[in-house]
Amino acid sequence: MPVTRELLKPVKTSFIIFSFIVALLFNLIPFPFSHGNLFVLPDLVALLLLYWGMHQPRKVGVGTAFWLGLALDIADANVFGQHSLAYCLTTYVVASRRRQLAVFPLWQQALYMLGLLLLNQFIMQLVRKILGAPFIGWGYFVGCFIAALLWPLITRLLQHPQRKESPSEL
Amino acid sequence: MQPTQPAFFKQGPRPLTQLLLYASLSAILMVGDHHFKLLNSAREYGSVLLYPLQWLATAPVSAMRETGKFLTAQTELQKENRELRNQQLLANAELLRMDALKHENEQLRALTATNATRQGKGILTEVLYNGRDPFSAQLIVDRGETSGVKTGLVVIDPNGVVGQITRVNPLVSQVTLLSEKNHAVPVEVKRNGLRAVVFGMGKENPLEVRYMPAASDIRKDDILITSGLDGTYPAGLPVARVMQVDQNSGMAFVRIQCQPIANIDKNRFFLILDESRTLPPAPEPPKQPETKRKKRRGEE
Repeated sequence: MPVTRELLKPVKTSFIIFSFIVALLFNLIPFPFSHGNLFVLPDLVALLLLYWGMHQPRKVGVGTAFWLGLALDIADANVFGQHSLAYCLTTYVVASRRRQLAVFPLWQQALYMLGLLLLNQFIMQLVRKILGAPFIGWGYFVGCFIAALLWPLITRLLQHPQRKESPSEL
Repeated sequence: MQPTQPAFFKQGPRPLTQLLLYASLSAILMVGDHHFKLLNSAREYGSVLLYPLQWLATAPVSAMRETGKFLTAQTELQKENRELRNQQLLANAELLRMDALKHENEQLRALTATNATRQGKGILTEVLYNGRDPFSAQLIVDRGETSGVKTGLVVIDPNGVVGQITRVNPLVSQVTLLSEKNHAVPVEVKRNGLRAVVFGMGKENPLEVRYMPAASDIRKDDILITSGLDGTYPAGLPVARVMQVDQNSGMAFVRIQCQPIANIDKNRFFLILDESRTLPPAPEPPKQPETKRKKRRGEE
């Protein structure tokens, strides 16, 4: 079902901020001490950036992506700017294609987002490769597929507060 | 875009402009951080701001671990206790012999009047979780500044060197493992005292000894111990066992792969050794005599 078929209430800025805080919390959950390089946890911040970048381009844009990426770089003790660069690029792509994306059914949107999330990880891997880190295996990309599967769910969930209540008076 | 837009169409700078601006900014940050280490203080301030969020995110995980500890079966504890007792007996026997040796060593050192390697204290620590950056081999342990941990201290397990403390927060600190890419440890071969440097090659890859000439006397199953030459690692701790020596005539150096002796990927408990020494400053390089330079210039 295309998302544009129904009229939605305007979204509250506080709700956007709240959703990002929850996503940051989720992303900061530490990996339990174990060996193996499988990162099955999806990158929720990236997913939300894509969602809000597509649906609320005036409120969430490349700038938001940059600052959130920077926060993650600090929290993860990565190289500064690694997440920011990737997030900026993908948020830009989604913002410039948002009108086309809005008429897609949800599963097609999810496919598109999968591509962008993979691009995210690819950019980060590339940056680290240039700066001298080893390749850490394909497990690094597993989280993207799970995140893409979550896309329809996230869309429904985040649109819930925007849906109109049943028309009681008219 | 029309030059005269109604006010409610204003969206700030166009996305492409923003993208170019922020992307170049991140590129500058990357270079500044990686090559010049300019942003360490910014990182510290940022991590203070993020601390509440991080604490919230780790709280459920640590709570789960605590319950897990509480529910450990009694038989398991008994078994572990018995093993530990055995180990203690063995260690005690060793210790008795060590005492005599230490005494003798002290006397000898007093004779030669060299700096004694100080007997430092150890801080027992538990691994909390893996570092969040998947590209580097790092662990977070549960001792920090308040327990006297400093950057540069050495982390060991019962078998040998695990790594080094690289970042210290008040309550936790970050250990960089031996296997971190390009992490170097000065070592010597236990058998003959040959000096070398061991480099990490990335998570779960074997370590490598670099820059050893083809004729150097290093064999399979040699034990490499720290040489203490860098002033960071105390001397005599086992680091790695040589697994493979490739003599390739096409290369200037031998390719030597080795395996860490410590269980760097498995153990939960490590010991942080506080044996930092203050080394005298390195001697200045000798100055070139002036006359020589002039001569060369004259020849040209």
